[in-house]
Amino acid sequence: MTTLAPGIQTRPVEPPRAATYLLPLGIGILATGIVGLTGPVGPLWGTLVGLVTFGVLAWTNITRRWIDALILVVGGIVGLSFFDSVLAARTGKIDFKIALLAGVGWLVYGAATGIVVYRHRSEYRATIIGLQALSWGGGATLALFTATAMGVLAPLNARQISNGEIQELTIGLFVVTGLSAAAVGLGANLSFATRLVTLFATGFVLVLTVMAYNEIQFSTAAIATQLSRIGEIADDFWPPVWKWRKSLGQPETFNIIEPFIETFQIAIVGATIGNILALPLAFYASRMTAPSNIAYRVAKSFLNVVRTIPDLVWGIFFATAVGFGNPFAGALAMIMFSLSIMAKLLSETVDSIDIGPLEAGRAAGASHSEVIQYAAFPQVRPNYVAYALYIFELNIRASVVIGFVGAGGIGRLLNERRNFFQWDQVMAIVIVIFVSVLLIEWLSIWARRKLV
Amino acid sequence: MTVPDLSPNEKMAQLRPKEPMGPRITRLVVTILIVVPFIWAVVGLEISPERIYRAPAEIWVLLTGMFPPDFDDSGRIVAKLLESIYIAWIGTVMGAIFSFPLSFMAATNVAPRWMAIPTRAALSAIRAFPELILAVILIVPFGLGPFTGALAIGLHSIGTLGKLSSEVIEGVDEGPIEAISSAGGTLMEQMRFGIVPQAMPTIVSYWLYRFEINIRASAVLGLVGAGGIGAEIVGRLSFRADWPKAGAALLATIAVVLVVDAISSSIRRRIITGQPSRSVLSKGMIAITGASRAPSTEIKS
Amino acid sequence: MGIIDFTDTSVTYPGGLTALKGVTLSIEKGEFVVIVGLSGAGKSTMLRAVNGLVPVAGSVVVDGREVVGASRSELRSIRSDVGMIFQTFNLVNRSTVINNALMGRLAQVPRWRSFLGLWPADDKEIALRSLERVDIVEKAYVRASDLSGGQQQRVGIARALAQEPNIILADEPVASLDPVTSHLVMRDLQRINEDLGITTLINLHFLDLARQYGKRLIGLNDGRVVFDGDIADVDDEVFRGIYGRAITPDDLVDK
Ligand SMILES: Nc1ncnc2c1ncn2[C@@H]1O[C@H](COP(=O)(O)OP(=O)(O)O)[C@@H](O)[C@H]1O
Ligand SMILES: [Mg+2]
Repeated sequence: MTTLAPGIQTRPVEPPRAATYLLPLGIGILATGIVGLTGPVGPLWGTLVGLVTFGVLAWTNITRRWIDALILVVGGIVGLSFFDSVLAARTGKIDFKIALLAGVGWLVYGAATGIVVYRHRSEYRATIIGLQALSWGGGATLALFTATAMGVLAPLNARQISNGEIQELTIGLFVVTGLSAAAVGLGANLSFATRLVTLFATGFVLVLTVMAYNEIQFSTAAIATQLSRIGEIADDFWPPVWKWRKSLGQPETFNIIEPFIETFQIAIVGATIGNILALPLAFYASRMTAPSNIAYRVAKSFLNVVRTIPDLVWGIFFATAVGFGNPFAGALAMIMFSLSIMAKLLSETVDSIDIGPLEAGRAAGASHSEVIQYAAFPQVRPNYVAYALYIFELNIRASVVIGFVGAGGIGRLLNERRNFFQWDQVMAIVIVIFVSVLLIEWLSIWARRKLV
Repeated sequence: MTVPDLSPNEKMAQLRPKEPMGPRITRLVVTILIVVPFIWAVVGLEISPERIYRAPAEIWVLLTGMFPPDFDDSGRIVAKLLESIYIAWIGTVMGAIFSFPLSFMAATNVAPRWMAIPTRAALSAIRAFPELILAVILIVPFGLGPFTGALAIGLHSIGTLGKLSSEVIEGVDEGPIEAISSAGGTLMEQMRFGIVPQAMPTIVSYWLYRFEINIRASAVLGLVGAGGIGAEIVGRLSFRADWPKAGAALLATIAVVLVVDAISSSIRRRIITGQPSRSVLSKGMIAITGASRAPSTEIKS
Repeated sequence: MGIIDFTDTSVTYPGGLTALKGVTLSIEKGEFVVIVGLSGAGKSTMLRAVNGLVPVAGSVVVDGREVVGASRSELRSIRSDVGMIFQTFNLVNRSTVINNALMGRLAQVPRWRSFLGLWPADDKEIALRSLERVDIVEKAYVRASDLSGGQQQRVGIARALAQEPNIILADEPVASLDPVTSHLVMRDLQRINEDLGITTLINLHFLDLARQYGKRLIGLNDGRVVFDGDIADVDDEVFRGIYGRAITPDDLVDK
């Protein structure tokens, strides 16, 4: 080996390596798999988890000593047995106390890993190892606690828990714990508070996902089944039927055009008026150009509330107010929709304008609205035009569906045909929508590019 | 004229340029392009002055009818709102998981053209279907219920997230990638160490942003029977005309969306601006995503 | 009574910083006054006290009208008679030169006309003449951002002139320009003062420019007037009094 450096400078301590981050990840996932497959944990699985951990440590060149294997296996057995006994012994409510106790089980195992890693990487500060161990226990405890507090386990509170449920529960816990710990491991060089937050965030995301997955009865099996009979389903939809009788005794006609034009008109009216009304609002909703602090707050809050209401809910609202099946309702809904988006985008653009010209305008004795029109608006005009085109595109998409709630347009027709189970006619309408949405998008992109 | 003495001498006046016609013509054309279709649309929709005149009163009647809201069956509202959140969440998770690899396949600076172009086309085809229409189609095989709603939202999210993420990937700084490839790094390594750290904060913030949008989308899927709060709002407004209860459902929806927006946008801001010294959360996100630097990209769509 | 009378005038910013501390002085009609002082001494603040762009206390009387406590419309009417020129020009870059100059007419033109962009012919004429005055009329229909720094500042002067002001306030008008252009702009301002008799207050950073173009000099230090007199009486000692140090080449435009 050639001498590259004379070696005068002192070398810094090597920071924790990626291998140590991968460690918890590997173990967590493996443990999940093993326990998930076989049900309740216990001494046997403690042995397995200990050996697997040792395997990972050996593989990442941290240790190959039997004494370490022993520590890990004993730690695994003690920890997981404790975990198991806590879970299996309780017959009634799952509460924070049990969560805590289960966490202690992990703590023991975590400590065992900590000791082993510490023995062989003395340059790693003890605090890091301590945190690592703590986070394993903490991971389990917090995940359980979160789950308890959020009511995931609520149905289990009142009654005896079956073996199957314990199994499910344990899988869930292992997933949460393993991945949480992995995330903490990933952030090994971060502060304690950061790791805690990371842990919580990961736990929260995972718990929410598992919960939502269960609650909406997500089923990969159903997806597989339906995919396998895609031909049958397609038969319902294909070939599309373009003409049909409006009512008995009438000739078959091409019925899509008229509501389609209506949709277009709704989008035009909505975008035009919405974009105009958004102008003053946008300037009120920026600190740069608001006439007063109160005006700013009012405009901003108004926009925030308007923005929370989905386009279709506007549709229902106005349809209820001005009459069902009325395209006027659709236009009103599209106005609110356009207004909220434009005002938000534009006010954020106004936030970054140059205030020099505004001061010049004020110094020349111009009124507030004159300053906005002559000093502020020209600065955001190109953005305004680009946003307007973009909003028109969004309006076309939105006004397609707005008819579902009785606000006119092609959505109304689609809903009607759907209620008659005329899937081949639905298909024809969907194709028209699909093509027009794509066309409008291309057009809008092209026009915006031309502008720049 | 009040200031005859402003200009120092007479012959200056000849230097005055003529006002160019170009901008005026443009302005005229643009005005026509806006006004004519607008009038056509207003006439076509039969929006008469009388109707406009009547509308505020009608809206006022409905608004006052919804207040004070009736929170009697708030249990049901909460359950349905939760269902909406679940639908949006699963939809977002689906979108994130599937769009992530697709966005690499659609990015021209990573994938070869023969792969990027069809992937792109597929993504924009998916996007062209609004969630509600996807739901209408998916109800046929998957039946009524939140599962169908989640699938519809998930599919649409794959389209939008895939497009946005691939744009982020295409926008990353080429320097690090070049450095890795010149050091003999494989394509996989280029992606892991050259692209992901740059693009990840923005991509994750798009995921969050998508969740905000999906909450709104899932709030209306109930219209076609795909679960969530939508059915409550529509049913009470239009079919049963139970306005105070509709008001309650609407208010609850607004509140939930506001809260989710506030949380999500504050996390997004932290991820994007990445204030490392102050924000514990962004460090957490960085820890999870392994990312360290954010290219600032404005969120649209 | 001068055209501008400061009486125990103070300015305290919302943050609580008092940038102008009890200034009392009077400026006569047609004067050409140069204000100097270290950065942060309160020069810009003093100018902005004249047209009420900063929160003023005490009394500032401009052309017989009190700025302190003036209503919005009174303030706008005072401002419309006071032109202002800025270090960074403060032009609307995306607008044409003539539209920038026309901003000086906003206070005089009925709102519906300016809203629709239907400027009365008289006001357009005034704007064009102001542009002629500073030799930039040929660029009238060019975008402001397409001009050089010196040209932009001339548009800034034209905008002020279009107000047909009695007073012009210039806040470091040449600080962003190169030496040659600086002299051109200063000469423009000087000629406007001489030809049209417009009272002119200029903040300057460069001492040689102050000496060359000024008549009366006001020295500010930490919000207080520390010198007020004829520029001819100003020697190095006075400058040291204002700046708290000797003159360095950095204080001169022509080094
Ligand atoms: N808008 C403002 N808000 C708060 N403080 C300000 C503001 N403008 C200026 N100041 C402060 O007032 C003091 C005087 O500023 P200024 O009049 O701009 O000085 P000069 O123009 O002589 O450099 C400075 O300390 C400056 O920081
Ligand atoms: Mg200054």
